[in-house]
Amino acid sequence: MLYQSYKDPAKVEAMRTNLESQILALESTGQRVAPGLHAELGTLYLQSGNKGKAKAFYIKERDTWPESRGLMNAVIDNLDKEPKRQTETPK
Amino acid sequence: MTRLLLIFLTLIITGCATPTPINLDAFNAAAPRSVLVVPVVNKSLDVDAPNYVLSALPVPLAEKGYYVFPVHTVKFILEQEGLYEGEQIHQQPAPALAKMFGADAILYVTINRWDAQYAFITTTVTVQFDYKMLSRDGTELWKARKTLQYQPQSSGGGHPLAMLIGAAISAAVARAAPNYMPLTQQANLQVFTMGATAIPDGPYSKSREIRSAR
Repeated sequence: MLYQSYKDPAKVEAMRTNLESQILALESTGQRVAPGLHAELGTLYLQSGNKGKAKAFYIKERDTWPESRGLMNAVIDNLDKEPKRQTETPK
Repeated sequence: MTRLLLIFLTLIITGCATPTPINLDAFNAAAPRSVLVVPVVNKSLDVDAPNYVLSALPVPLAEKGYYVFPVHTVKFILEQEGLYEGEQIHQQPAPALAKMFGADAILYVTINRWDAQYAFITTTVTVQFDYKMLSRDGTELWKARKTLQYQPQSSGGGHPLAMLIGAAISAAVARAAPNYMPLTQQANLQVFTMGATAIPDGPYSKSREIRSAR
């Protein structure tokens, strides 16, 4: 799937919805989602400007896979900082 | 049942083809739980090859039971740090990269060959990758090289002229759009799971879970 989006950047949107539905399907059957999938979805949301959803998926990744904690915490911290910077600048 | 048979069959096949298994002492001593796959170095002429190869790496590693850092996210973060090229990233000290992502091990992959050669009416597609895994402190854990070749088979039989045309068509198709992906996926799967280069099972491996459940 990632291959397709590299091959054709226009398909990124389609990939995101596809990935999301797959993750939901896995979650609903109680299976553990493969490593990195939540985070990849988060990054896709981040790249399309949806920070709230991005953060939600980063948190999911962190809670599913303890190995990712360091990276995910750093990414989430960064996301938390950015909106503050934006609100501070207009003053 | 058929699946079991298949596993035995591959065991037999790879068993014949493997002379000496590589030394995994360092790997076992480090016992990595998570693997950071960094963007790939490209020595082929195809500019898209690194991304394609990168996209085919996490699945076999995850199947082996390792936590694989999300490759696209990693690539995105490295780009934010100003690291775009595989060469650049491979030159970074492994401890620094591992610390940045909190990874136990880092996998470096180099594409040596990614091409299609044409000889008369057949086309041979070749991929060759170098794999190297370093631990968090920079010691080398594992190293392998994998080459795979593929020749499209024409489904001929019967009239020689028909066979010739069939071969020409399949060569033309392979030339227009060489099918690297199945070959790449195969190479990655084989290098991690089969024969002399197979790496030990990771903490999330299915076979390990079954063993501990007993």
